[in-house]
Amino acid sequence: MNLALIVLLPFIGALFPAFLIRSGRNACAYGTGVFTLVAFILLLVQAPAVFSGQVIQARFEWLPQLGLNVNFFLDGLGFLFALLILGIGLLIILYARFYLSHNDPMGRFYVYLMLFQGAMVGIVLSDNILLLLIFWELTSLSSFLLIGYWRHLPEARQGARMALAVTGGGGLALIGGMILLGQIAGSYDLSEILQAGDQIRSSSLYIPALLLILTGAFAKSAQFPLHFWLPHAMAAPTPVSAYLHSATMVKAGVFLLARVWPALSGTPEWFYIVTSFGLVTMIISAWIAIFKDDLKGLLAFSTVSHLGLITMLFGFGTPLAAMAGVFHILNHATFKAALFMSAGIVDHEAHTRDIRRLGGLLFLMPITATLALVAAASMAGIPLLNGFISKEMMLEEAVHTTYLGQDWILPVFATLGALFSVAYAARFAFHTFLGPVRDDYPHKPHDPPFGMWLPVFILVSLVVLIGLLPGLIAEPLVKITTDAVTGGNTPDYHLSIWHGFTPALFMSMIALAGGLTLMALYLPAKSFRERFPRPEAKVIFEAIIEAIAKVSGQITALAHNGSLQRYLAVMVSAIIAVGFAGYLGSTPLGAGERAMVPVNWPGLVAWVLLVAALGATLMYHHHRLFSLILIGVVGMVVSLTFFYFSAPDLALTQISVEVVTVVLMLLALNFLPKETPRESSSLRKLRDLVLSGLAGLGVAGLVYAVTTRGFESISDYHLAESKPGGGGTNVVNVILVDFRGFDTFGEIIVLGIAALAIYALLDSALHGAAQRRLSKWVPEGVRAMDPHPFILVIATRVLLPLALMVGVYIFLRGHNQPGGGFIAGLVVSIALLMQYMASGFSWAQHRLKLDYHGLIGAGVLAAGLTGVGAWFAGRPFLTSDYTYVHLPVIGEFELATALGFDVGVFLTVVGAVMVALANLSRVGRRADAAYEAQEQATDGKEA
Amino acid sequence: MNIGNDILTALPEIFLACSAIALLMLGVFRGEGSSRLIMTLSVTALIVTLGLLLMGPTRNTSAFNDLFANDGFGDFMKMLVLIGAALTMVMAQRYIEREQMARFELPVLLLFSTVGMLMMISANDLIALYMGVELQSLALYVVAAIRRDTLRSSEAGLKYFVLGSLSSGMLLYGLSMIYGFTGTTNFTTLAEIFANGGEVSLGLTVGLVFLSAGLAFKISAVPFHMWTPDVYEGAPTAITAFFAVAPKIAGLALFVRVLMGPFGELVDQWQQIIVFIAVASMLVGALAAIAQNNIKRLMAYSSIGNMGYALVGLAAGTQEGIRAVGVYMAIYLFMNVGTFAVILCMRVNDRMVERIDDLKGLSRTNPLIALALAIFMFSMAGIPPLAGFFGKLYVFLAAVESGLYILAVIGVLTSVISAFYYLRIIKVMYFDEPSEAFDQPIGREMAVVLTATSVIVLLFFIMPSPILESASAAAEAFFPAGP
Repeated sequence: MNLALIVLLPFIGALFPAFLIRSGRNACAYGTGVFTLVAFILLLVQAPAVFSGQVIQARFEWLPQLGLNVNFFLDGLGFLFALLILGIGLLIILYARFYLSHNDPMGRFYVYLMLFQGAMVGIVLSDNILLLLIFWELTSLSSFLLIGYWRHLPEARQGARMALAVTGGGGLALIGGMILLGQIAGSYDLSEILQAGDQIRSSSLYIPALLLILTGAFAKSAQFPLHFWLPHAMAAPTPVSAYLHSATMVKAGVFLLARVWPALSGTPEWFYIVTSFGLVTMIISAWIAIFKDDLKGLLAFSTVSHLGLITMLFGFGTPLAAMAGVFHILNHATFKAALFMSAGIVDHEAHTRDIRRLGGLLFLMPITATLALVAAASMAGIPLLNGFISKEMMLEEAVHTTYLGQDWILPVFATLGALFSVAYAARFAFHTFLGPVRDDYPHKPHDPPFGMWLPVFILVSLVVLIGLLPGLIAEPLVKITTDAVTGGNTPDYHLSIWHGFTPALFMSMIALAGGLTLMALYLPAKSFRERFPRPEAKVIFEAIIEAIAKVSGQITALAHNGSLQRYLAVMVSAIIAVGFAGYLGSTPLGAGERAMVPVNWPGLVAWVLLVAALGATLMYHHHRLFSLILIGVVGMVVSLTFFYFSAPDLALTQISVEVVTVVLMLLALNFLPKETPRESSSLRKLRDLVLSGLAGLGVAGLVYAVTTRGFESISDYHLAESKPGGGGTNVVNVILVDFRGFDTFGEIIVLGIAALAIYALLDSALHGAAQRRLSKWVPEGVRAMDPHPFILVIATRVLLPLALMVGVYIFLRGHNQPGGGFIAGLVVSIALLMQYMASGFSWAQHRLKLDYHGLIGAGVLAAGLTGVGAWFAGRPFLTSDYTYVHLPVIGEFELATALGFDVGVFLTVVGAVMVALANLSRVGRRADAAYEAQEQATDGKEA
Repeated sequence: MNIGNDILTALPEIFLACSAIALLMLGVFRGEGSSRLIMTLSVTALIVTLGLLLMGPTRNTSAFNDLFANDGFGDFMKMLVLIGAALTMVMAQRYIEREQMARFELPVLLLFSTVGMLMMISANDLIALYMGVELQSLALYVVAAIRRDTLRSSEAGLKYFVLGSLSSGMLLYGLSMIYGFTGTTNFTTLAEIFANGGEVSLGLTVGLVFLSAGLAFKISAVPFHMWTPDVYEGAPTAITAFFAVAPKIAGLALFVRVLMGPFGELVDQWQQIIVFIAVASMLVGALAAIAQNNIKRLMAYSSIGNMGYALVGLAAGTQEGIRAVGVYMAIYLFMNVGTFAVILCMRVNDRMVERIDDLKGLSRTNPLIALALAIFMFSMAGIPPLAGFFGKLYVFLAAVESGLYILAVIGVLTSVISAFYYLRIIKVMYFDEPSEAFDQPIGREMAVVLTATSVIVLLFFIMPSPILESASAAAEAFFPAGP
C-alpha cells in the first residue's frame, strides 16, 4: 500500500502548485516539496526491509484480461532509483524556487515537474511491464512539456519536439518489445519474467524482442546514434536539465537495461550490441564534449558519454560489471546534478553559459566555484572522490573482458574514454572558474542566495563522503541493488579506494595525464578537430524528416492526384492481382467434369455478332448515336440467345426492353453533342487495355470453370411447382407474380421511383442555369425538313390498334404462355411511343389525356391491394388463388388473383415509360421554341 | 412463422426506418426551413433507437427466416454506430445552418444510412448483407454531394459514387461466387457447411477475395482507399465527421461478422488477405499523412491507418482479437468525434478554415480547444495513459497471441511514424506564433461534445470496465462455447 502511495504522492502533488502559486512563490515551492518529502520518508521507512533482502509488493487489479495490473514492487534496484529520484527531486524543487525568475510561470513548472517525478517513480517501482510502459511514455510527455517550458525560445520548441519524437518513438518500439517479452514469458509481471531468463533467451523471438527493447532503452538514454536529442533538450531551464537529463530520466534507459538484465543478458547478441553501442557512445560524445563552448552543452555530451559507460558495463554481462554500473549510476547522479546546478548558477549570475566569455569565477563566486570544482574532479575520476572508484571498477572490468577475441580492444578504448572525460572536466573547471578575473562578463557574478547553493552543497558532500568512505556509505546500497540486478549473484567485492597496483590504476594514471595534456594542447586539438567534417545530428535529423515528408508528398501526389481513372485503375489492378494470386495459389481451377458442347452455326453467328458489336463499340464509342445502335445489336443477340435456349418469354421481355430503352436514350441523346471528347492518351489506353484484358481473362477462366462443373438447378423445382403452387404454366410469370411476388412488387416500386427521379431531374433542366444553357442550345447537324414524315405517321396509326390488341393478348395469356403484365406494358408503351415519335408530342398528348404519375401510383396500388387481398383469405401477403373463367370469344382461360397483380405491373410500366417520354418531350419542345426564336431573330436581322 | 417475434427482434431497425420515413414526410409537407426541427427529431429518433436496443430482451436470436441476427456483437457495434451518428448529427446542425445548406433531406438521408448500417451489422445472409450495404452507401453518395452547387462537393460525391459502384459490383460478384459454390446464402448454413468439413474450392476462395475487396472499400482499407482523402476533403466538414465514424464502425463490424461468422472456420483462407490489407493500410496511413497540410485530408489518412490497426485484431481471428476490435472501434469513435468537433470549430472571420497552419498558437488564442485537440492527438498517437494507447495495446496483444509477430511489429513501427504527424499538430498549436483566433463562441452543443469526448479519452484508464466488458461480451457472440 505504501508503495502505491509513494507513486501516487507526486501525482497528487502535481494538482496543487497551480493553486498554491496564488499564495506566493515560497508557498508554491515548499508546498510542492512537502509531497516529495513525504514520499521520500515513506521510502526510507521501507529501507530496513529492503536492506534485509525483502521484496515489498503491492498489487491492484486494473485490466486483468490484458495482464495489465497495477503491481508495484520494491527491491534494491527500485530503491536506489527511487531514492535518487525523490532525493534529488527535493533538492531540485528547492533550487528551482530561486532559479526561476519572476516572469516565469512557476506554478506550471512545478506541475510538470511533479508529473514527471510521479511517472519516473512509477517506472522504477512497476512490477508490470505494461504499467512500466505507461509510466515510460508519461516521462517522455512531461519531459516534452518541461523542455518546451520557455515557449518563447525557438530552440526550446524544436528541442522539445525532437526529444519527444525520439524518446516517444523509442517508447513505442519498447511497447512492441515488451509485448513480445511478455508473450515469451507468459506473464507481464516483471517478477515472473525475471525468473524466466533461460526460456526467454532460448526463444525464437528473443532477437526481435531484444532489438525493440534496446531501441527504446537507447533512445531514452541517448545512446549513439539516437543521442542527438539530449543536447538540444538543454534548452530547458537548468533545474530540468539537472533533474531529467542527467540524474533521472535519461537513466530510465539504463534502469531498463539493469531491470531486464537477468532475463536478457548473457548472450553474445546482448554482449556485442549493448557493449558496442555503449563504447561508441562513450568515446564519441566525450570527444565532442571537450569542444563544446556552452556549459550545458558540454555537460550534456558528458552525460551522454557517462550513460554510454554505464550501458557498456551492463553489456559486459558479468555481475561485477553490473555492480560497477550500478555504483556509477549513483555516483554520476550526484556529481552531474551538482555540476548542472552549478552551471545554472553561473548562467543565472553571469547571464551567460558561454565558456569563452567566462573564467576566473573562483574569485567572484568562491562557494559555487569550490563546489563545482570538486564535482568536476569527481567526474574526471580524481582519487578520493566517488567518480574515481566507479571508474576504476569500470577499467578493471574492461581489462578482464575480451571483445571480438581480442584482449586489448576494450582496455584501450576505455582508457581513451576516460582520457577524454578528464579533458572535458578540466576544460569545464579551468576555463570557467580558474584563470584571471575578467571585466567583460555580461553581468557581474557573485554567489547566489543560500537556497540555491545548498542543494549543490548537499550533493557535493555526498560526492566526497562516498569517495572517502565507500565501504561504509555506498556499499550496502550498491550491494542490494546489484543483488536485484543480478538476481542474487553479487560477487564478494568490497568498495574501497585502494586496491593495490592494479592495471586499472595505471590506466587511470594514463587517462589523467593524457587528459591534462590534451587540455594543455586545447587549441591545436581544436584546430585538429575542425579539419574533419562534423556532422550535426540535428541537421541530419531534420534533413531525414524533410526527406521523408518529401517522399511521402511525392507518393501522395502520384497515388492520390484526384484522378478518378487512376483510382479505378489501382482498384482494378489490386483486385486482379489478388484474384490471380488466389487463382494461381492453390490447385488451378481447370475444366470440370462436364463435356463441352460442340460448336454449331447459330451459336457461332451470334458469338461473332456479339464480339463484332463489342469491338465496334470500343472503336466508335465517341459517336454516341452509333454506339447506341451497337448496344441495340448486343441486346438483339442476347434476346436471340434466350430464344435459342428455349426461353421465349425472356426473349420477348428482352426485345421489348431493348426497344424502349433505345428509343428513350435516342431522345435523350438528342440534347448531347454527337461525339464525346477524346481525353485519354494512348498510354492510358494501353494501360486500360492490359487491365481489361487481364480482368477478362480472369473472368473467362472462372466462367469456363463454373460452366464445366455440374450444378443443381433450381429450375426443376419451379417447373414442378409452377402449376400446383402458382396456377400457371409460364414459369417465369409465376415466379414474377407469385413465388417471387414480393421482389416484383419491390421492383415496380423502384421503377416508379426511377420514373419520378427522371421527372425531377429533367424538370430541373427547365429552371435556372440549365434552362439558360438550354435556351442557347443549337442542334448539331441539319434539322430534318419534315419532322413528321407522312408514311411513318400513317403506318404508326394503323399499327396502333393492332399493337394494343397484341398487348392485351399477351397480358391475358401471360400466366400460362409467354407474356405477362411486364411485357404487355412494354408492348403498349412501344405502340404509344411510336405515336409520339411519328406525329409529334402535342398531337398525341391532345388525344391521350392521362396522368402518367397517377398511372404509376395506380399500378403500385393495384399490385399492393392484390397482395393484401390474400390476407383476407387467411394467407400470407401475395399468395395467389385461381379459378377458370369462360369468355365467349377467347374461350376458357384461367383467372388468377395474380392477374390483379399483373395489372399493377402493367400500369406501372406504361406509366414509367410515358413519364420519361413526356419529360424528354418537354425539354425538347422548350429547346425547339428557343431555337426557333433565335432563327426568327437572325432571319429578321438578315431581312 | 411468427411475424410478431420477428418485428420485436428487429424493433430498433424498424423503428428507425419508420421514423426516417415519417420525418421525410414531415419535411416534404413543412417545406424548407424545417431543417432544425427535423434534425432535432432525428437525433431523438436515434436516441430512442438506442434505448430500444438497450432494452431489447432478445439475445442470440434470429428473425425473418434467419436473415437477420441479433447478438451481443451486433448490440455493441450498433450502440457505437448510433452514438457516433447521434453525436455527429448534433454537431452538424450549426454548421449546416451557417453554410447555407440546411435542408431537411440531410438528416433524413443520414437516418436512412444509419438504418443501412444497423442492417449491415445484423445481416445473417448474403442478400441481407448486400441490402444493408447498399442502403447505407446510396444515402451516403447523395450526402457527400449534398452541396451540389460547389465543385468540390459534387466531385467528391461523384467519385465516391463511381468507385463505390465498382466496389458494390465486386461485392456482388463475390457473393454470387460464394452462393454458386456452396449453394446457400445463409450465414448459419454456410458456417455449418464449413464446420462439417465442407470442401473449400478455389471458386469459393475467389468469391471470398471479391467479398473482402468490396468490404475493404467500405472501410477505406488499402488498396481500396483511394476515395477517402478526396471525399473527406470535398464533402462538407460536418458530413466528413459522419463519414469518419458511423460507416467505418458499421463496415468493420460487417467485415468481422462475415469473416468470423460464416467463414470462421476458414481463418487460413482469409487471414492472409486481412494481414495484407492491414499492413498496407497502416503503412499508407502513416506515410502518406506526413505530407498533408489539410487537416481533413490528414484525418482521412489517419482513418485509413486506424482501420489497419482495427484489422490487425480481426486478422488474429480469435476471441481476444474480436474484443480488441470492439475496444479499438469504441475508442476510435470518441477520438474521431472529438477531433472533428475541433475541426468544426475552425472558423476564422465567419469562414471555415482547414489547414493545419490555421491551428498555429491555438494554445494561446483558445487554450481549452487546444487542450482537447492535444488530448485527441496524443491518444491517436497511442501515447499512454490515453485511451488510444489501450486500443492499440489490445490489438497488438491479440496479434501476438495468435503468433502474428511481424504484423504486430509493423503496427508498432507505423504507430511510431504516425506519432510524428500527430505530434506535429500539437507542436503547431502549442509552440508556434498565433495566427488569427477562431470565432467565438463555438456553441453549447460543441462545448458539451468536446468536453465529453475529451474526458472519456483522457480518463478511460480509470474506468475502462464499461467499454471492456461490453466488448468482451460482444466477442463472445462468435465463440459460444468460449471461456
